[in-house]
Amino acid sequence: MPDRARAIRIGNCSGFYGDRLSAMREMLEGGRLDVLTGDYLAELTMLILGRDQLEKPELGYARTFVRQLEDCLGLALERGVKIVSNAGGLNPSGLAARIREIAAGQGHSPSIAYVDGDDLRSAAPQLGLSPGALTANAYLGGFGIAAALAGGADVVVTGRVTDASLVVGPAAWWHGWSPTAYDELAGAVVAGHVLECGCQATGGNFSGFASVVSTSSTDEPLGFPLAEVAADGSSVITKHPGTGGLVGIDTVTAQLLYEVQSTAYLGPDVTTHLDTVALADDGPDRVRVSGVRGSAPPEQLKVCVNELGGHRNSVELVLTGLDIEEKAAWVRAQLEPRLTATSVTWSLGPVPPPDADTEEGASTLLRCVLQDPKPEPVSRAFSGAVVELALASYPGFTMTAPPGNGTPYGVYRAEYVDRSAVTHTVHHADGSTEVIR
Amino acid sequence: MRAPLGAFVHARSGDKGGDANLGLWVAHDAHAEYDSRVSWLLATVTPEFVRTLLPEARALEVEVYALPNLGGVNVVLRGLLGRGVAASTRFDPQAKGLGEWARSRYVEIPEELL
Repeated sequence: MPDRARAIRIGNCSGFYGDRLSAMREMLEGGRLDVLTGDYLAELTMLILGRDQLEKPELGYARTFVRQLEDCLGLALERGVKIVSNAGGLNPSGLAARIREIAAGQGHSPSIAYVDGDDLRSAAPQLGLSPGALTANAYLGGFGIAAALAGGADVVVTGRVTDASLVVGPAAWWHGWSPTAYDELAGAVVAGHVLECGCQATGGNFSGFASVVSTSSTDEPLGFPLAEVAADGSSVITKHPGTGGLVGIDTVTAQLLYEVQSTAYLGPDVTTHLDTVALADDGPDRVRVSGVRGSAPPEQLKVCVNELGGHRNSVELVLTGLDIEEKAAWVRAQLEPRLTATSVTWSLGPVPPPDADTEEGASTLLRCVLQDPKPEPVSRAFSGAVVELALASYPGFTMTAPPGNGTPYGVYRAEYVDRSAVTHTVHHADGSTEVIR
Repeated sequence: MRAPLGAFVHARSGDKGGDANLGLWVAHDAHAEYDSRVSWLLATVTPEFVRTLLPEARALEVEVYALPNLGGVNVVLRGLLGRGVAASTRFDPQAKGLGEWARSRYVEIPEELL
């Protein structure tokens, strides 16, 4: 049971599908936590999972999370750390079933809940969403996760909840917040937003990297972040002792300003007013977040829609030495008549300085990117046309790699639906279901 | 004097669909002129400034949101990434390096702030 007298300690072990596999174990072993979260879903990831599922309907979830749990489920249970993740992607029930198999195989019997209702593919036409959408997922809030934890879940997997909901849900459960506790929820959204990209809060992708290099041991990889979220929604962002990287006002600011739009940060549970966030030093590798104000969320829910945009391919030609622009012009003139794709984009890198004393320094890249609704114009027809010029074009013709077969690409766009169009549902471990609002 | 914006300004950039997002804020490096630097940054970064700083955005709609509490601004560059990360033909389709490009650009900065 939550001890509401103290802050809940929520860690993060993944900022995207493909993040450090060992992070789950590192976060479980590195210090005390109440909940360990992981974000596996980006807009592009939904498309990747959608394509996985076209081939194998039983997939559609983040498979790296399964591998992490195979390694760490017993450890998490032993330490009493609950696991909350959006790794369910397009198939949270399938992921929950897979985890039950793993648990049974290892002789564990955890309580596993999943949250769904975000997937609007089947209802897309009635909702006015594009009928051809490969994926269409409403961004759900944290109260499904909170209900799952209140129901005793040890592991909660979801589909498309907002990244911050992975922290909002556990904090709302721990502190018993109501859906109108907007300031508290907004405080947790800020903590969640800081945590959701993993090491981007601890010195990764940080323009002050020189301070990370000089103050932190390069023997240790950057640690993943954690937040201590208090009952009033304020928090301290920190990391486990002895891990690499640093947590400071600048690393936290960097993540706060990442991928936000206006000063009002809209979410399904609360509108968070970023111009109210106060950051303060709270000791080494500790930053206090306070003062955050929230207000009622928008009436409608945002939907992440991915459609198949077409097919693409590209090549990088290496141009070296004298007459770079003339060389580029000739190879373009040779290739263009043979390219049938609807979109052909060329870009030439910087012209190298004269008299360079390395071959690389004397070289630049000419990129050609093709797009077409059909696969043929960007696949073999393109790679053939390029490769056939190898001995028949500008002097020094070479490529960074031969063009491949081309790949399909998606187009993401945001849509909005009424809340009534979405049935945000918790599936508890005992098989019962609970609809949120 | 002319100096790189990154002399005391940090940045982080990323994508939201076809829009690029660029956060700029004054580094907490214990410099005595922190408050003046923040005032300068907030007064300097306008949509027009961003379009000049990053010529690839010169024809785009640019929005600037002041966040004095964080000592910086959030900038949204509408449509820089075309139709979004998977569809973009840009050299850096997710705008990951946009912030570092912005920091490397030379701008006029009052000498007492450097």
